[in-house]
Amino acid sequence: MTQYEAIIGLETHIQLNTQTKIFCGCKADSWDDAPNTNICPVCSGLPGSLPVPNAAVVAKAVRLAKAMQADIQAESYFDRKNYFYPDLPKGYQITQYDKSIATGGHMDVPMPDGSTRRVGIHKLHMEEDAGKTRNEKGRRLIDFNRCGVPLIEMVTGPDLRSADEAAEYLIRLRQLLRWLDISEADMEKAHLRTDANVSIRVRGETHLNTKTEIKNVNSIESLRAAVEKEIARQIQAYEAGERIEAWTLDWDENAQTLRKMRSKETEADYRYFKDPDLLAVRLEPAWLEGVLADFPELPLARRARFIEQYGLPEYDANILTSERSLSDYFEAAAAAYAGDVKRVSNWMMNDVLKLLNERGLEAGQLKLRPEQLAEIIQLVDANTINTPTGKSLLEKVQDSGHSPQEIVAAEGLSQVSDSGALRELAEKIIASSPDNVEKYRAGKDSLIGWFVGQLMRESQGKADPNAARAILEELLKG
Amino acid sequence: MTELCDLSAADLAARIRAGDVSAVEALDSALARIAAVDGRPGALDSGDLTAEDAAKVHAFITLTEDRARAQAEAIDKKLAAGEIPGPLAGVPFTVKDIFVVEGTPSTAASRMLANFTAPYTATPVARLEAAGGVMLGKVNLDEFTYGSSNESSAFQPHPRNPWDPSRVVGGSSGGSAAAVAAGEGALSLGTDTAGSIRQPAAFCGVVGVKPTYGRVSRYGLIAFGSSLDCPGPIARDITDAALMLNAIAGPDARDATAATLPVPDYTAGLEDGVKGLRIGLSPDFFKITYYNHDTGEMEERPLPDDITAAVMQAADKLSDAGARIIENVPMPHTRYGIPAYFVISRVEAASNLHRFDGVKYGHRTAEKAADLRSMYRKTRAEAFGPQPKLRILMGMYVSAAQYSEQYYQRALKVRSLIRRDFDLAYDPNGTHKLDALLTPTTPTTAFPIGDVYGDSVLMQYADQLTVTADHAGIPGISLPGGLDAAGLPIGIQLLGPDFSEATLFRIGRTYEKETAAAAWRAARPKVLG
Ligand SMILES: [Zn+2]
Repeated sequence: MTQYEAIIGLETHIQLNTQTKIFCGCKADSWDDAPNTNICPVCSGLPGSLPVPNAAVVAKAVRLAKAMQADIQAESYFDRKNYFYPDLPKGYQITQYDKSIATGGHMDVPMPDGSTRRVGIHKLHMEEDAGKTRNEKGRRLIDFNRCGVPLIEMVTGPDLRSADEAAEYLIRLRQLLRWLDISEADMEKAHLRTDANVSIRVRGETHLNTKTEIKNVNSIESLRAAVEKEIARQIQAYEAGERIEAWTLDWDENAQTLRKMRSKETEADYRYFKDPDLLAVRLEPAWLEGVLADFPELPLARRARFIEQYGLPEYDANILTSERSLSDYFEAAAAAYAGDVKRVSNWMMNDVLKLLNERGLEAGQLKLRPEQLAEIIQLVDANTINTPTGKSLLEKVQDSGHSPQEIVAAEGLSQVSDSGALRELAEKIIASSPDNVEKYRAGKDSLIGWFVGQLMRESQGKADPNAARAILEELLKG
Repeated sequence: MTELCDLSAADLAARIRAGDVSAVEALDSALARIAAVDGRPGALDSGDLTAEDAAKVHAFITLTEDRARAQAEAIDKKLAAGEIPGPLAGVPFTVKDIFVVEGTPSTAASRMLANFTAPYTATPVARLEAAGGVMLGKVNLDEFTYGSSNESSAFQPHPRNPWDPSRVVGGSSGGSAAAVAAGEGALSLGTDTAGSIRQPAAFCGVVGVKPTYGRVSRYGLIAFGSSLDCPGPIARDITDAALMLNAIAGPDARDATAATLPVPDYTAGLEDGVKGLRIGLSPDFFKITYYNHDTGEMEERPLPDDITAAVMQAADKLSDAGARIIENVPMPHTRYGIPAYFVISRVEAASNLHRFDGVKYGHRTAEKAADLRSMYRKTRAEAFGPQPKLRILMGMYVSAAQYSEQYYQRALKVRSLIRRDFDLAYDPNGTHKLDALLTPTTPTTAFPIGDVYGDSVLMQYADQLTVTADHAGIPGISLPGGLDAAGLPIGIQLLGPDFSEATLFRIGRTYEKETAAAAWRAARPKVLG
């Protein structure tokens, strides 16, 4: 049977999370605004208005370029891409064409099977978004709110080899965009829009066959499903001796099917030329240095380091680097704890994550500081409190803002390990349960658990269970 | 007795500040002049030209009398309260209708925007008003500024030359130049893309200033050739032009191409004379070179004698005043200015016109359109006149992917060669070390209405001596330099290096003083009787 491989490249449009639009002072985010209420003469293309570039957009593009290890260009230009469409109010889109902010670059994407796929970046440039068109009752309704929203278009080489790899790239890209505070990368809000170019070839061949372009995939799962379907369709067609044509396909999310939008027409002539309303984008060395000064360790590098430096399992490292403030939090807690890092990791993955999920918070927003988490673990380690008390302390610190020590003192949560007190309680329990004492002494050892439980209850959970058990065993044997 | 509307802006502002006259009186004087000489304003579908029309100026498209009166009254109130209302306090001015002004029709002299009322105000207009100027209204131009005679305006009757109403006013800032010449406002805000301020200023016997590119913000200027367009003053003398440039020049956070250099006081050195300045004459500016379609050759024609003579006399006067005249400065790429301009301006114009699609504002076809594409087609076919259509056709052609290298990219190279001509001439370590070039502004004086309209190429050659400054981005001034045998104004031009406006004003002012007693200075436009 012939073995095929898929050749996939992704084109992503990334909506930046700047305060304002790319060329005017309107706010960038119109999610909650009524149509055509977040517009001005500039973004709605009124006669005489002029674009003024937003430096925050350039800064974010530079940071993404650096993350992709692309060559950041000291001088780049904005061009006009001329075409007519009702939601394009100027009749041209301001974009970067032949002299973009960055060239080259790649991203090494770890795959679930442990391998790494290097994905080349063919294009990385800044541009403005267009508006939205909606057809309703035979009328065409246009909303200009989205006009001028800053985008970065990033196009990969034909380097991905399966639907899973494509999905994995998008997962890692989304993680990176959030990590670098470039985009909220919320796919449901179309912050991260993806088109996929798909072709197949017989494994071992090196040429590229005709590709199709899949549009309108709005989630990672749809990307995976759509690409899988398309690969299967192409293989079937190929085996049936049909020619693969350069179609543009639309993913129908509800039906989970691909629909042919059109046969790819001859390339439109957009009559690109440098926008004379904008000067060259010149990156002054001092400015660039400032923008990159606090450039963070990237998630994949941090993930590798967590494995290497702390000896964490890949599973832990993956989760703890899924989001930047979580990984910062973990490292701060690990540093404060100064003990077995795996123990901090366990607390993070079980208890802190649960707390975050329940409260809908990010780690950076917690009132429970990383040092306090470390302190709680240390209190448990020192048998000052027992584990359940420790876990409940997380919430108490988060809710009250008081330190763990304060709460332990105020609520008398210290574990009772004083043998006098424990012995008193143990004697009381033994005296009041003659039946069970008899059974235990007759050989039913498992009843010791029942006795420890009773003692814990009597101590309102504060007893050190190990010490309690030892005392009980001693008394029962006697 | 001189009427208030015939006073210079400087003089009028001084009198208003001193309390000798009120801003309302100055406004009334300008309105009376408009009533007397302007005739009916330009309008769409305005019918045949009457004999009366043929004798009037027709500078205006929209007179904003109520707005002007409110502004003048506010100025008077400020003065009465002891406030200082700005250097142009109470000075009436007009605005070429290519600038948007909030709440007023902003038409670009096109059917496309005949119904467009702007929701915001262009920066230079806002600055004139902030300086105390009183806007009288919006004046006519070639449609979307595409022309050199104003005949292409969709708003007819188009302006007629105050010196001889059978002649054109020039263009595209023709309404501006005509208004200033006829006393309909002391100042007017124009735009220069190939000579659109200087050429009509020359034709109408007034001063026109094309500042350095970026010196005056383009925000609110409906774009023609965005890399060339320069807003600038039209005034009756150099001092007024300097005063106006003071008000409108400067950085603007709304225009990324606006220069951030601080603005000097352009009136400060006006009386300093020209001693020691090096002023050049170039043989390349005393002929016009054009492409002969029959022979396929470039041909040369000398300029009319009285234009050449006017410039040579100006050189003599400046020499008498202490300037050093440097002859034979080579400006070899001057001849390529028009062809390169044809390409660059049309590529930019075609793109700039894309937004006029009937979707958002302006004209939309009343016919039922089957689909989007036919709505676009009908709308644009109905509302654009022949000049925009020509520019769209040529602009689309030369910017098409397969021709861009051959035309657009090549034109950009020519443009940089033109810039180099100027750089060499002004280079302080070069051969000529010029402070300015002295040239004729136009190859002819105002031509008769109807003579060249429609012959787009010939019309554009009217700009051959002005367009190179637009390519290079340098400043240029046209000022009155005498009258020709027919009694029509001749313009002389001063071109300087980037941001040398103050020097050009100084030279111009010196020339004014040297010729103050000349007989032609006493002549008045025919429409003023
Ligand atoms: Zn806006």
